[in-house]
Amino acid sequence: MSESGRTADTAGSATADPWRKGYWGPTNPDEHPAVLAIRERFPHAYIDAVNFRDEMTVRVERDSLREVAEYLRDAPDLRYTLLNDVTVVDMLQLRDDPRFDVVVQLYSIRYRVRLRLKAGVNDGQTVPSLVPVFAAANWLEREAYDMFGITFEGHPSLRRILLAEDWDEGHPLRKDYPLRGFREYIQPGFENPAPRVPSRLRRQARP
Amino acid sequence: MTFDLSPTTVNISEERRIAENRRELVLNMGPQHPSTHGVLRVLLALEGETIVGCDPMIGYLHRGIEKLGETHRYSQFTPWTDRTDYVAAPLNNLGYVLTVEKLCGIEAPERAQYWRMIFAELSRMASHLVWLGTHALDIGALSMSLYCFRERELVLDIFEKFCGARLTTNMMEIGGFSRPIPPELPGMVRDFIKIFPAMQKEYEELLSANPIWLARTRGVGVIEPEAAISYGLTGACLRGSGINYDIRKANPYLLYDRINFEVPLGTHGDVYDRYLVRMEEMRQVLKIIEQCLDQMPADGPLSLSESNYVIPPHKSVMTTAEDMQRHFIWVIKGFSPPKGEVYMSIEHSKGELGYYIVSDGSPIPYRLRVRTPDFVNLQVLPYMAEGALLADVVALIGTIDIVLGSVDR
Repeated sequence: MSESGRTADTAGSATADPWRKGYWGPTNPDEHPAVLAIRERFPHAYIDAVNFRDEMTVRVERDSLREVAEYLRDAPDLRYTLLNDVTVVDMLQLRDDPRFDVVVQLYSIRYRVRLRLKAGVNDGQTVPSLVPVFAAANWLEREAYDMFGITFEGHPSLRRILLAEDWDEGHPLRKDYPLRGFREYIQPGFENPAPRVPSRLRRQARP
Repeated sequence: MTFDLSPTTVNISEERRIAENRRELVLNMGPQHPSTHGVLRVLLALEGETIVGCDPMIGYLHRGIEKLGETHRYSQFTPWTDRTDYVAAPLNNLGYVLTVEKLCGIEAPERAQYWRMIFAELSRMASHLVWLGTHALDIGALSMSLYCFRERELVLDIFEKFCGARLTTNMMEIGGFSRPIPPELPGMVRDFIKIFPAMQKEYEELLSANPIWLARTRGVGVIEPEAAISYGLTGACLRGSGINYDIRKANPYLLYDRINFEVPLGTHGDVYDRYLVRMEEMRQVLKIIEQCLDQMPADGPLSLSESNYVIPPHKSVMTTAEDMQRHFIWVIKGFSPPKGEVYMSIEHSKGELGYYIVSDGSPIPYRLRVRTPDFVNLQVLPYMAEGALLADVVALIGTIDIVLGSVDR
């Protein structure tokens, strides 16, 4: 096998760029209508727009996340009416400030285009809730609060959703949360396990 | 409010009776209720038989799949995706595998894509059959579940023939399939396509014009189109309200742009319309599979053997030194996709299944988000339930088509 064949990104593919089907709109941020509209309408909130694998990510200031989402929903030539996902990425191991990224995936049913909004937030800061704009944000933000401890301002009932209501060990999807939790888990009824004794039967070594 | 309890006046006792009836009764439904399709717990506030408050409580099946995803290599996570929605495991595999392929910039060979479409549609069928059987069982048609599970066996037999597993199949790999297609498999699929329409006619004869079924489903759980969009519904819940959004049509992945099929839409947005939409989807599944079998190239690779992101085929690992080294590195170290983030979604049987992966250039995903359709769709339950009757709650839960493994992850 040739060296180029090993590292080629599109080796053996049936078509060269399978996802270039108008999925996320123009790849150049200067041509993307949503990016241009956010730049024009919210010059103070727009930070940057990044394109990777044809997916457009617009980073905005967290204070104006709700206004931007509302504008994208209502603008007649954008119509990002469907909220697909609200989630958080803990960037602890990748950068210092801000620590979290709130990631919002939007979809325009009319124009069949996706867009991703991002807003950085630090521990202890709040993000405006998207529930007044999209009813779908309710549980998604509750999950983000449950898993990362991000507070969404204006959420009707921000409480834990997947974990128990009396969970007292913090927020498990943070990067500084150990995989097995902070405390050792003891199965109820096995508080005093029987001591381990060496077996009298020796396991036969495999030939 | 104070009451005069003296027995002399009749009106007071009448007023007291009304006041007692007005008092809210909080009813706990689940988590072990058989019609909640798993471990869903719903708190219901009742006034008489009318529901005035509804609060679904989930998380009883939470296994922390997203946290597990941050500790496994990309290829190791595929079996975990089976466990999210365990009645349509190949579809979950497909969503994950396509996301990683998009991140790596590779694409499976044509024949593998056709087989992926066939397995995806078969598992859509399997999922819809479970939905139909349990949904009708909840409303009172016991025989439907027996019929549906009878036909589901045919689908599961096809899965078993291909990969040996029936439920948690783990059949798709990054870059294609690692197993060969058994020579009798196309015949089994064609047999299923031939058998199934008569079976579906049987279901529709039992249900579609059944007066009890109509009374329990028509006009129940109406979702207005605006509310459906605002609640972020996808799949049959959205299309039942008349909104035309099917990812296979809107943003085709795999080779769906070569397939001719229709997207059924509802008009009223009630339980009955969603039933009709899913029944029509089952008919379209057969159409898609038939076209896939006809269009598929007769011969060709099932996996990318050239790419470094894909495990090399067994034969060349055993015969060439270069592929053996590649295989060793793939197994011991894993592969490292480029830095970046991708979101890819497919049309799952329940709605839009999305995976969002943030890669920091290491063999382990930095963040792996699973956006399951039923988690978002279940939010609409309080909207539908408030004002409805207590007896309709099982119909409303059934019509969203939830699997709690997928809701709780």
